[in-house]
Amino acid sequence: MENKFVFDSKIKMILYGMIAVGLIALLVGLFSEGVVESRFWANLLLNNFYFLALALGGTFFVAVHEMGESGWQTSIQRVPEAMGRFIPFAGVLMLITFLFGIHHLYHWTDTAHHDEILAGKAPYLNTTFFYIRFAIYFAGWSILSYYLRKASIDMDSDADIKYYKKQRILSSVFVVFFAITSSTSAWDWLMSIDAHWFSTLYGWYIFSGLLVSTIAMIILILIFLRNQGYMSHVNKEHLHDLGKYLFAFSILWMYLWFSQYLLIWYSNIPEETVYFVERVNNHSTIFYVNLVMNFVLPFLVLMTRNSKRMIGVTGVVALIVFAGHWVDYFLAIMPGVVGENTKVGFFEIGLTIGYIGLFLFIVFLGLSKASLIPKNHPFYKESLDYHTNY
Amino acid sequence: MKEITKYISAYYLDEEDLLSGIKKMQENNVKVLDAFTPFPVHGLDKVLGIRRSWLPRVGFIGGTIGALTGFFFQMWVFTEGYQMNIGGKPLLAIPSFIPVTFESAVLFAAFSMVFAFLFRSRLGLGAENKIYDVKSTDNHFVVVAGYEENKSDDVKEKMEAAGATIIEVKE
Amino acid sequence: MYVSPQREPLIKGEKDYATITNDVTAPMAGKPGKYWFMGITISTTAFLLGGVATFFTVWFGIGTWGLNKTIGWGWGITNFVWWVGIGHAGTFISAILLLFRQKWRTSINRSAEAMTLMAVACAGFFPLIHMGRLLVGFFIFPYPNTRDVWVNFNSPLLWDVFAITTYFFVSLLFWYVGLIPDLGTIRDRAKKVWQKKIYGFLSFGWVGSARHWSRHESLSLILAGLAAPLVLSVHSIVSMDFATSVIPGWHTTIFPPYFVSGAVFSGFAMVLTLLIIARKTMNLEEYITIGHIESMNKIIIATGSIVGIAYLTELFVAWYSGVEYEQYAFLNRATGPYWWAYTIMMTCNVITPQLFWFRKIRRSLVATFIISIFVNIGMWFERFVIVVTSLHRDFLPSSWTMYKPTLVEVGLYVGTIGLFFTLFLLFVRVFPVIAISEVKSVLKTSGEKKK
Repeated sequence: MENKFVFDSKIKMILYGMIAVGLIALLVGLFSEGVVESRFWANLLLNNFYFLALALGGTFFVAVHEMGESGWQTSIQRVPEAMGRFIPFAGVLMLITFLFGIHHLYHWTDTAHHDEILAGKAPYLNTTFFYIRFAIYFAGWSILSYYLRKASIDMDSDADIKYYKKQRILSSVFVVFFAITSSTSAWDWLMSIDAHWFSTLYGWYIFSGLLVSTIAMIILILIFLRNQGYMSHVNKEHLHDLGKYLFAFSILWMYLWFSQYLLIWYSNIPEETVYFVERVNNHSTIFYVNLVMNFVLPFLVLMTRNSKRMIGVTGVVALIVFAGHWVDYFLAIMPGVVGENTKVGFFEIGLTIGYIGLFLFIVFLGLSKASLIPKNHPFYKESLDYHTNY
Repeated sequence: MKEITKYISAYYLDEEDLLSGIKKMQENNVKVLDAFTPFPVHGLDKVLGIRRSWLPRVGFIGGTIGALTGFFFQMWVFTEGYQMNIGGKPLLAIPSFIPVTFESAVLFAAFSMVFAFLFRSRLGLGAENKIYDVKSTDNHFVVVAGYEENKSDDVKEKMEAAGATIIEVKE
Repeated sequence: MYVSPQREPLIKGEKDYATITNDVTAPMAGKPGKYWFMGITISTTAFLLGGVATFFTVWFGIGTWGLNKTIGWGWGITNFVWWVGIGHAGTFISAILLLFRQKWRTSINRSAEAMTLMAVACAGFFPLIHMGRLLVGFFIFPYPNTRDVWVNFNSPLLWDVFAITTYFFVSLLFWYVGLIPDLGTIRDRAKKVWQKKIYGFLSFGWVGSARHWSRHESLSLILAGLAAPLVLSVHSIVSMDFATSVIPGWHTTIFPPYFVSGAVFSGFAMVLTLLIIARKTMNLEEYITIGHIESMNKIIIATGSIVGIAYLTELFVAWYSGVEYEQYAFLNRATGPYWWAYTIMMTCNVITPQLFWFRKIRRSLVATFIISIFVNIGMWFERFVIVVTSLHRDFLPSSWTMYKPTLVEVGLYVGTIGLFFTLFLLFVRVFPVIAISEVKSVLKTSGEKKK
């Protein structure tokens, strides 16, 4: 069994190519007349946020399973652990985006024109406090995720149970910290785009999307690793469980989406409906495509046991869901920032390809630095010998 | 399942002995009819060649019927049955109809599956199935095998070889 | 299936399959002890008190309650939501924990599911009595009245009818399907002829055939798969009774998931309160171990913290929204005339469960029992705060009032508590409180020692 991932030059070349596409798209965005500034910055925010969410989701996946004393996932745990490595990189990219593009993204930063409502929100929505929160989030996330991964890797060379205990404590701290910051960061970076609008559920809704897309990403990376001949111990049982997660969290996402939509639609208060009116009227295609990709397809396809146990089917659904949540964030960001100039062209696609390349590059680099299996994890053996019935 | 009148039962006290015992009996051409256990034994389906249950499909069909009934009934009530303006909402207020649609889907699916289960297994209020041995609901794992005329000793021997603790011939 | 030695055993002591059957059925066989008689006397008295209160309500009308034209919903709806919430632990344990393969659920699922059914029955009583005339209870069913008007499918109150009915029936099916094999066990052990007859009748002719088990397992899992979203939907729909309105304090989008979390929170608290007593009086300490209690406490702290975050989110967004009515509603909640209810809610729901971060407290019976009662109280006050404080300040200041329950309302509440405990005490006499077959199925992997 090959326990160590070799990041060979072939894969590297492909990823470099993807990053190059992203850089070209970036140049196109900078110098092309067609890409207005708001569109440029909105797409950077979109991809930054999406891949940050995947990285955070990876660490959250590990932390929550450690807290729950779960055993089945230990043999695939190194993948989400490595995903968490992207957090600081996302932080740097995000900081650049905000330093140069904050005025294009958030109209509340414009304090020159007096706005009664925004003036009321100023104690929270002001640039100083915004950057302070930004620093707190990234410091907390990066440090906790780094040490969580470190404790896990330290266990490989030293079977002492103290590393496991350390992991559990760090996991609890991360989950508590993340429970608060996942909501507040979603308010800061996404909800405040439509600065007048508010919804208490918004943070949890964004969080549920983060969960689904993370599972999709883990499935895709696992399938890739298996095709390369690694992780031969990952069998249908693991895939089946991940497939169930993908299925269940898609339903959870739909549930939260619907809760928010129904309550706003039903009460019909103008301050709140404005958010959906804009999206249903002016972006109706994306509005419905979002629901089909993220709920209807995964729900119908993954319902049966057999489809969850077929690598091809689960892989395709994971790919659709992965793309689907990009669409979801697209719908969250574009109407407020870009408005009627919203388009999907080479710039959007190229930039996303670049981000995928960069994200995978960092994940694979992380995977190649440690063993693919946490062989001394107390529950590792459970993960090799278990059966999923339904 | 037809009621068996002539059979030999072999008793085990442990589920793993039961599984290996059945396998051994089958290798020796003993006709294993059924096994009775105090709890679901993992892997027994495979050994006895029991096919995967169709109940999930029944549930899916029941759920679909429930969802369609629930939705179209509400649609009919408000667009055909008695049109009424409620809070300025459209007559066909789809978001409002989702909760009841969902609930009726679940209700139909659950009932159809439970009834299918009871019907298929011949279980029900007051139903009486042959109890092969009362100990099988306590701590014994019982294998029931058929035998041809005058060949009970042969089967018995094979059962002994398969490690059964007690063997009883019943007619 | 391999189970790591790192895990705490779920069944203590040296056991084999026969001892499990004996231990679980033992409390049913003998005569009930004096604690049982004391309990049933108190609970039936409380139940009868509820009967008197019901009589007053039906005879004299809703005017016997403390409601007024501003506060149309008081204790009645508070109790309804509280009971439905408590009814969420059972199905959560049996459905969601089954899907998550949490083996510790096997010792507590049966009694928790029974509590679900009883709690939902108690809950269903309140909307009915709130109509003032029990005889018109059938108005809620979808049928065309004499003028061909149907029920209003746009109303969340009607969604409630569907949700609660479905929830009750699906929980009943789930509970009973799981109970069938155990009833078979009791039938086969019964000494008296009439017992054998009754349990034989109730056991549906279960014999434990491999074919039956195979289907039974498949049925249980798919029912669990159905019940899991159902649990989410039920309290979500209950929350929509409030959240679809335009009342500040009621209309907030976080309500559905936050109510679900609160429901599981309060449900587990009630399960703990009862099981801590039951395991002691029925000698089930080896099955419902400290480990089980710790696991439940972990769920309490998780759901309690989610509820806490939801409170803070509501407060923050009320301020952030910039809508003065929203801001006032929450300010008034915390500092207005009902500040004491808000303080009790915050203390009991958010602060006391945080003590469970300490392993010592999580594993202490006394502490768990006390905190579980705190949570029960806190969750009742949560609903009281939501219902009453949001209503008592109308948009029209001349309609501002206060609300005080009358003795009749208190009587109704006490009556449902009596009903709940009476049913539970009867349940422990006639049905096995622990899922015998399920505990047997985990003995090998998770028992301390198998004979």
